[in-house]
Amino acid sequence: MAATQQEARSCVRTPERTNMASVNSSEWRAICDKFTNAQNLTEIESRNDKENDPFRSKYKAKELLREIYCSLKNFEAGEGEEEGGGESGDQRPTEQPVDGQREDLFGQGFSGDSPAGLRAARLGAVEYYLGVNHVDTEELSAGQEHLMNCMKLLERCRVSSPNVSLFIQVRNQLGILWAGRDETETAQGFLETAESIYQRYMKEDGSPPTDMTEYFAAEENLLTHQERIKRFELAYTHTMYYLAQVYKNLGQTERAATYCHTTLQRQLQLNQFTPMEWALNAATLSQYYITKGRYMEGRHCLSAATVISDLAGEVPSEAAAQENETESERREHLRQKRAEIARCWIKYCLNLLQDAKKQLEDNIGELDTDRQEELKRARRREEEEEEKGRKSALLFGSEDTFDSIASIEEKVMCLFPLDFTEARSVFLVGQNHVTQAKDYFQMDGYVTDHIEILQDHSALFRSLAFFEEDLERRCKMHKRRVDMLEPICNDLNAQYYLMIRRQLMFELAETYNEMMDLKLALANRQADTQSLDNHTIKKFNHLCSASAKYFQMFLDSLCSPEGKFPERLEEEVLRPALVARFRVARLHSRLISTSPTVQLDNLNKSLENYKYVVQYCEANPEAGAAVETELELSKEMVGLLPLKINRLNARMDSNN
Amino acid sequence: LSNLKHMGSESVKVVVRCRPLNDREKALSCKMVLSMDLQRCQCFIEKPGAVDEPPKQFTFDGTYYIDQETEQMYNEIAYPLVEVRIQRDNFAYGQTGSGKSFTMQGVSEPATQKGVIPRAFEHIFENIQCAENTKFLVRASYLEIYNEEIRDLLGSDTKQRLELKEHPERGVYVRDLSMHTVHSVGECERIIEKGWRNRAVGYTLMNKDSSRSHSIFTIHLENSSGQDHLWAGKLNLVDLAGSERQSKTGATGERLREATKINLSLSALGNVISALVDGRSRYIPYRDSKLTSHPLLFPQGHNPPPPKKRRKRLKRQTWTNPTQFITSTLSMHCIKTL
Repeated sequence: MAATQQEARSCVRTPERTNMASVNSSEWRAICDKFTNAQNLTEIESRNDKENDPFRSKYKAKELLREIYCSLKNFEAGEGEEEGGGESGDQRPTEQPVDGQREDLFGQGFSGDSPAGLRAARLGAVEYYLGVNHVDTEELSAGQEHLMNCMKLLERCRVSSPNVSLFIQVRNQLGILWAGRDETETAQGFLETAESIYQRYMKEDGSPPTDMTEYFAAEENLLTHQERIKRFELAYTHTMYYLAQVYKNLGQTERAATYCHTTLQRQLQLNQFTPMEWALNAATLSQYYITKGRYMEGRHCLSAATVISDLAGEVPSEAAAQENETESERREHLRQKRAEIARCWIKYCLNLLQDAKKQLEDNIGELDTDRQEELKRARRREEEEEEKGRKSALLFGSEDTFDSIASIEEKVMCLFPLDFTEARSVFLVGQNHVTQAKDYFQMDGYVTDHIEILQDHSALFRSLAFFEEDLERRCKMHKRRVDMLEPICNDLNAQYYLMIRRQLMFELAETYNEMMDLKLALANRQADTQSLDNHTIKKFNHLCSASAKYFQMFLDSLCSPEGKFPERLEEEVLRPALVARFRVARLHSRLISTSPTVQLDNLNKSLENYKYVVQYCEANPEAGAAVETELELSKEMVGLLPLKINRLNARMDSNN
Repeated sequence: LSNLKHMGSESVKVVVRCRPLNDREKALSCKMVLSMDLQRCQCFIEKPGAVDEPPKQFTFDGTYYIDQETEQMYNEIAYPLVEVRIQRDNFAYGQTGSGKSFTMQGVSEPATQKGVIPRAFEHIFENIQCAENTKFLVRASYLEIYNEEIRDLLGSDTKQRLELKEHPERGVYVRDLSMHTVHSVGECERIIEKGWRNRAVGYTLMNKDSSRSHSIFTIHLENSSGQDHLWAGKLNLVDLAGSERQSKTGATGERLREATKINLSLSALGNVISALVDGRSRYIPYRDSKLTSHPLLFPQGHNPPPPKKRRKRLKRQTWTNPTQFITSTLSMHCIKTL
């Protein structure tokens, strides 16, 4: 109570009665001017304060606010109004209001525009500004006290248009304050009350509420209805925004996402946004939805992002950019942000295809046609749901944008693609965005980004291949991946881009492996006889060696600068390294050769690598858990291969 | 810091140097709570007033106490780094007032307390003079990172913001960063002073907080020995910003906790949304954060995910908030070798 008691003591009570009605206009004018001054100091002057005296202006503002407080108390005293005493009008018990009260703030208390109500609101407003001032100048306890005083004053009043803004904003501030103290639930209480006050006010009244700055404004400076609504709505948008953060801190991510969504929605509706910034936020939110498998919402966010980003205007031409630095920066900025939105779209398409694949695949990773039928039947039911879903979901936009957003949504599906045609349509949308993204994120300048985009493109092909029934065409898709990634892998500086190169090597190894299996499957289908023709063998071996080569390259990248393979594998590389060894082993055993010497060499290499896996897991038991299947197979092969090698040796000896 | 040790085939050395009590601390009758076992490279921190609690123990690659001079530290730690011909980085990290500048820049008297930076210059030029039949090109560059913006401290317009770019061959670089040829230790020192002055000017003019800026001084060496191949090396001397989080007036009363503090401005909505996105296969639009892409501070990319279904989510290696690792009584000097 220290701060306010001090204030009360320092207010000199004038002997004469000063009735509010008889307060002469010059005194009132003085108060209004002081208030304007205080606002100016707080908002404008304070920006010029030096780093070593950062609160100079705010301290000045505080003094002015205190003076205003005293003057108001004097007027009150003059009228016989004491703290706690007062006119009739239901007063609620003044207990300490804590975590957001859901009492009937709308029912009891002074009417907002009664003299008592106005007095309370004015004084409350000064307490509010003092509270904010103290918080800004890092005096949290004093700040809290003032804000609670404001709450107490308002307690006596009914929520109505002259005071609803204050009712909400004081709770916003208390929410901020308590959140800063790591008391998130307390903060939540205040903010949720603010939310319900707004909702009820809009339902039961809805008229443009007085803005807090108007309590000390001259008649001619009162705001228009439009301006009042704008400020009031902005205050509530902040309530939504603060609640989003509070829910995030409480770990309630879904709720937090909903409140972020609402914040974005309101920004658009109230025309309180910067196009590019809004678009990027919507695109980021789409990524949240995508990782939760909510593709309809994700698509909506992305479509809105695309439409709103266009509102940011045309990209200045290269010529214009060269002449003028501002234009050049603008061109860069617009192109970059649009490319980023494109990358979010790529992830949408990719995730949709990958999730569809998970739904459709059988236990060996092939498309299960029964599942496919089942899902197609289920889908007819889903499409009806989609319509209802749309209505209940939070739609973005205003009259002009609703249609443009819908037209973009129509170009790509949000349900799982269930056959090749549908998959291809999603793939093509993704591919278009790849082109757009690569145009900005070029290799020279943005190596990491460029490669990530290529990896996404490769993944798009991989997902599409799953839906492709024709094995030859499937193989061609994998070839596209190799063609895209192989040159890059070799061009990158091995030292600086170690991690990325490892990723690429692994992916190339697996892709070649995939192609090898496809070639074999194709050949087996075509030939009736057991043997494969030379051409096929050559092709097969080429793919097999290429795969082994890249797995080996990956393993070599783990070596020390002196070329020594690590004794102990770090956690991050453990599984990939053991899998790579296993694959090298397997690939070597599959190479086809007529020469026994070559066959022997391949089998020995194969055995060597299988042994490594087994021995490493024996020496490091926890590693076995990471590669269960591979370990099991390796153990088998370590048992079988020596026999095969011996037989081959025997045959070679007997032939000599 | 422990994350840095796992950067593939790279290794990090972490060395700690303790400074003596300063005048203010002596006036307040402060006690030294840090002691060292130099043989074992261990530090012990006592909890004041807790007599029965054993001191906390930390082990490092090197420890230097208050009575040891910069010369000794340089000879043991920095010397071998400067000797080697591949890219090396040398970081100085610690709270404001912990004595980083003393170690890095040093004082001219006594000679044994000359800083790491002037010693490195001398070392390099000594080597150059001794080498026969080889031509050397020594160039210096000096940049500052403040508020996620990069500036050239030796450029003609120190207010201009520079961009970070990546090149497939060269790796990460700062575009248009000026390079200045130097022929002697004296020239190196003048250049670094010029950079320092530009940095200081920035603080007063732009109202910057010096404790929040990082700087990187780089010596680029190129050598051509007759008809033989060219080799190039770089030595980066990094002065990291103060590790503490200060409120504006340095008030230590009620600190607002960063984690749950609500951001007041809607301009941070993007950050709030990003924080909700968890999981692989997503893209978070560029956050303009230079520090997170600087090659010295962040490893690039991550290892490939293991094949097939059993995927363990491999975390992106990040520089987690250093204040989690560093206690406030120590002055840390991290020397990282790539």
